[in-house]
Amino acid sequence: MSLLEVTNLHATVGAQDQQKAILKGLNISVNPGEVHAIMGPNGSGKSTLANVLSGRPGYTITDGSMTLADADLAELEPHERAQLGLFLAFQYPVEIPGVSNMEFLKASVDSLARARGEEQPNTAAFIKQVRLLATSVDLDPQFLKRGVNEGFSGGEKKRNEIMQLLLLEPKLAILDETDSGLDIDALQVVAEGVNRYKNENNGVVLITHYQRLLDYIVPDFVHVLADGKIVQSGDKSLALELEEKGYAWLT
Amino acid sequence: MADLSLPQAVTLPNYFSQGLLTLPAELTGSNDAPNLLTAALNSTLHRERWKYSKTAPVLEGLNSAMSLPTIVGGEQPGIQINHEPQQNLGFGFDLSQAPEAFARLCYAQQVLFIHIEKALEVPLEIHHCDSTVPVLLSLGRNAEATLLENFVGNLKPQNTLWISLAESSRLKHSRNSLDQAQLHWQYLAVDIGKNADYLLNNHTTGAGLRRQDIQIRISGQGANAELISAAMIGGKMALDQQVTLEHLVPNGKSKQVVHNIVADGGKCTFNGRIHIHEGASGTDATLANKNLGLGKNATINTKPELEIYTDDVTCAHGATIGQLSDQELFYLTSRGISPEAAQALLSEGFLRQCTQGPLAEAALPILINAIKQEQAA
Repeated sequence: MSLLEVTNLHATVGAQDQQKAILKGLNISVNPGEVHAIMGPNGSGKSTLANVLSGRPGYTITDGSMTLADADLAELEPHERAQLGLFLAFQYPVEIPGVSNMEFLKASVDSLARARGEEQPNTAAFIKQVRLLATSVDLDPQFLKRGVNEGFSGGEKKRNEIMQLLLLEPKLAILDETDSGLDIDALQVVAEGVNRYKNENNGVVLITHYQRLLDYIVPDFVHVLADGKIVQSGDKSLALELEEKGYAWLT
Repeated sequence: MADLSLPQAVTLPNYFSQGLLTLPAELTGSNDAPNLLTAALNSTLHRERWKYSKTAPVLEGLNSAMSLPTIVGGEQPGIQINHEPQQNLGFGFDLSQAPEAFARLCYAQQVLFIHIEKALEVPLEIHHCDSTVPVLLSLGRNAEATLLENFVGNLKPQNTLWISLAESSRLKHSRNSLDQAQLHWQYLAVDIGKNADYLLNNHTTGAGLRRQDIQIRISGQGANAELISAAMIGGKMALDQQVTLEHLVPNGKSKQVVHNIVADGGKCTFNGRIHIHEGASGTDATLANKNLGLGKNATINTKPELEIYTDDVTCAHGATIGQLSDQELFYLTSRGISPEAAQALLSEGFLRQCTQGPLAEAALPILINAIKQEQAA
């Protein structure tokens, strides 16, 4: 059984009267244990795919289907998708002053546990776990007391996303250009985090512009997204080919 | 519009003729205080400041019964508490700004004068239960104190407080007004001397109507004023905040951050005026008022005002009225948090940004509970 199954997905963005078609028949199937990289030119629909899968408001699905572990994602609210095991690492993580990182993470973990009928972690053990995870992605634990992403640098925000990935242990992680704007050291920390997360039971969808990230996180499949569709799929060598030739030969 | 009038004729207390308090400029050399007060009450300026609250019910209460507030920490060295001023400690009275506050001071049978002459070891606490007598608090040169002010009451209480800060003194003032009266009027005037520092952490809920007048004057060079305020106004509740910050002299600094949440059916008015007088060059003044409406029928009036009569100042002001950010809501829900819980977290976070200082711990649970009650309603 595949983990994520996206079939003939069509989606538009924008208000009712001025919808713009972005996804135009996209297919992708991710099995447990697999890493899929999605590359493609600007405006091809990469971030839209991440947003539609995670349920960001403002998008309309006009055709096709998407399921996670056989559950129809389109029927679920964003928080229900997360409770089912979907995680989106944001391209632009949001700053939320006044809500501390620790408070936010506890609310998240508690919500997920409640939804799954599991016991909520005890606070002291939880704080300890989060502090260790923060250190493991090179985030100063002092950051946990600050507002969510408040005043974080670009790199710190991305490391915070990876820390959440490690904490929440979703079934499927979608990383939306998590590598953009990172220096080499931060890129390695992020990649190391993703590698630590992945196992034979979960899946990763890696949206990226650059082949460089794939030196550190080795994909099982590389897909090229152009004009709302996957136009080419292959193994990791496809990424190298794209680096060399660009996208023009495919689109 | 009917003329406004005071409930009884005003007689000036003897302190003024004795020179222990300085008369407002408007009354100096005049023997017609009652008429001048009535004129001030009916001035355009005054009516503008009371545009969103009814003035008459407050005026009617000016001469009603008042009790002494409970003082804690008044026994320590460095504090003197009297019912008569011992010397002129520089309190400022301005008839055009607040004729009703001046009238109340004149009506009071008893007034509390508190003078702090050095750095206090423990905070001074003033607990108001319903209407309390006017309090005049002064800090001498280099004195330092933390003032904790708390209010409880239900009918139509009034509290008036004047503060005078001498050179290089520092006052950290925290005020919780979390009880729901029918009509609560709080008047606060602060005069800040050279290089002195004043901080007010203000936490409040709505009431039938709670009216907070805050008038801060930077009258010594290099003085610093900060106002950080958080309010949660429930349905059928109202809050009217009228803040004036005057920079009279050069090189003063002021910062105001005011966050207010208004639930469905609640009403909030914020009027924040920064007045930079001629010659107050090098002033640095900022004001930010953010309002969050939680329902379709939340009423929010906000008017930040700048009056600048000098060049070479840094000044910024802004006001926003909005609802919770979709971006922030999506970020939280994408982590499995339900929309209701996400809304509560964001609303709490909005107030938490302005809930600071020694009374924050007492205020926060009450403010958060008020948010939760509105969400449940």
